[in-house]
Amino acid sequence: MAAATLAGYPAALDLRLHALALALAALGLALLACGLLLRSSALLVWGLVAVGGEYSVLFAAEGSRLDAYTPLYAATFLLVAELAYWSIERRVEAWSENELVLWRLGYLLAVCAGAAALAAFVLVLAAAGGTGGAGLEAAGVTAVIGSLALLGLLVRRTAVDG
Amino acid sequence: MTRAATTKLGAYAALAGAGLIAALVLGRPEPAALAAPFALLLVVGLSLAERPRVGALFELDAERQVEGEPVEALLELRAENTVVQLELLFDLPRGLATEAPNPRILRLYAGDRPELEYPIRCERWGGYLVGDFVLRAQDRFGLLVYEQQLKLPRPLKVYPRGEEVERLLRPLETQSFAGSQTPRVRGEGIEFADLRPFVAGDRVRRVNWRATARRGEPWVNETHPERNTDVVIFLDTFAEARDRASGTLDLAVEAAGSLAAHYIQEKDRVGLVAFGGVLNWLTVSSGIVQLYRVLDSLLDTEIFLSYAWKDIDVLPVRTLPPRALVIALSSLLDERAVGALLDLRARGFDLAVLELSPFPFVEEGPSETEQLAYRLWRLRREGLRARYAARGVAIAEWNEGVPMEAVMEEVRGFNRHARVVRA
Repeated sequence: MAAATLAGYPAALDLRLHALALALAALGLALLACGLLLRSSALLVWGLVAVGGEYSVLFAAEGSRLDAYTPLYAATFLLVAELAYWSIERRVEAWSENELVLWRLGYLLAVCAGAAALAAFVLVLAAAGGTGGAGLEAAGVTAVIGSLALLGLLVRRTAVDG
Repeated sequence: MTRAATTKLGAYAALAGAGLIAALVLGRPEPAALAAPFALLLVVGLSLAERPRVGALFELDAERQVEGEPVEALLELRAENTVVQLELLFDLPRGLATEAPNPRILRLYAGDRPELEYPIRCERWGGYLVGDFVLRAQDRFGLLVYEQQLKLPRPLKVYPRGEEVERLLRPLETQSFAGSQTPRVRGEGIEFADLRPFVAGDRVRRVNWRATARRGEPWVNETHPERNTDVVIFLDTFAEARDRASGTLDLAVEAAGSLAAHYIQEKDRVGLVAFGGVLNWLTVSSGIVQLYRVLDSLLDTEIFLSYAWKDIDVLPVRTLPPRALVIALSSLLDERAVGALLDLRARGFDLAVLELSPFPFVEEGPSETEQLAYRLWRLRREGLRARYAARGVAIAEWNEGVPMEAVMEEVRGFNRHARVVRA
């Protein structure tokens, strides 16, 4: 339901690239559904990428105006991802115990709230940057590349058994 | 504990990367805002991830138990650091089951020492090593998974339950030691056998005064002595017929355990020969220690596939004492066992065969040819039984579900008409 809300948001707007948004929404939802049915992580990732891609259509169609709903969208997007990965986890009977379910719900609430706050912070930061310039753009590129490198390094170092 | 990345970690890294690249390509902050929570979750999750350190102690409340009875197992965990979610799987060997929730999910805080009880149901006889656990823990964000196999083996012997038998098979000849069996011969004993006229040398206390008064001359009582017997349980372990739940070997082992217990209770000497791919034997002896020896030996019994030809010459002489009653528990599926039993009979052993019928475990095929083959097979088995009977071997077919008492009665019926013939 959360995924449908996500996909429905840009698709419901009267956009210039409405057909593309609709197609990406349908593709994203279909991949997510298949991923859940087949318990496939790869399909879930592609589904989430398609839904996120549909959101990007909004910016391509609407121009330079910042979307005020981005924090809410980011929180819902993370919620969809968390729920999807929760759904494809190995089934253990004990997962249905009340204490564990409550702990999980609390965790979801916390990470979604955190996601919304972080997305808002990124937007505020972007808005404060003004129209920018070559220096700011270079800083942005460096930040993105640096973040990617840092992430890659962290994932590789931690995930591989030591 | 070994560590591995979950699929979620890879997916979140991909989503964060895709969002950041999209932000760069489109020159918009929104994709970065979408990617930022994923990136932050990864950074925080991986930075805070800590390898769980969990120790354990494991105990069983009994080392020996009878089939069908419960055993209590206690696992004490010791957490050295906090483990948010620990999946604990008690990996029980086949033949044992637990009614406790398995796997379990626990949350442990540093210093916790929870005690977990596992009531174990012993479903099948056998010797087991119990105490294999699999621990699986995830970090707070579900990005990493840690696994560990805990091996805390404790031996558990599950003895076959066996059946109650009221009357045992009597051997044709007894041994010379005192016991509970009444032989056919007469001698000093308690059991009344017959009356005969007094002869010089008879003790006065043996005079039957009522018979003497009636006949007008002295008559004395004759008695049977009480003797023990040697019983050798011959277990055919060359082949068995079985389905998922049970098989002829199960039936044989349960019957062997039961017979051994009953004969030892009657002060007889009992031995065991497991004749199959692996040869196993116990020379005859009596007493409770021997009973446990027999039972322990039965627990090791298994079908071991072998094509090597074996006959009874491979057995040490003392395993088959003279005048011993040999009770064979066999499915008569293997020619080597069939031949060995006929050989035993030819050597003059008092032999009774409890044929463990393989028919309940073999389904008749659907095609006409298969049905014909099945009928032929049944006929051949009947022929085999007739061959044994013609050689003076008491044989009875035992189908699963039929009480052992009924099968023993059939053998007793055969023996009732038997007599010792010496060439």
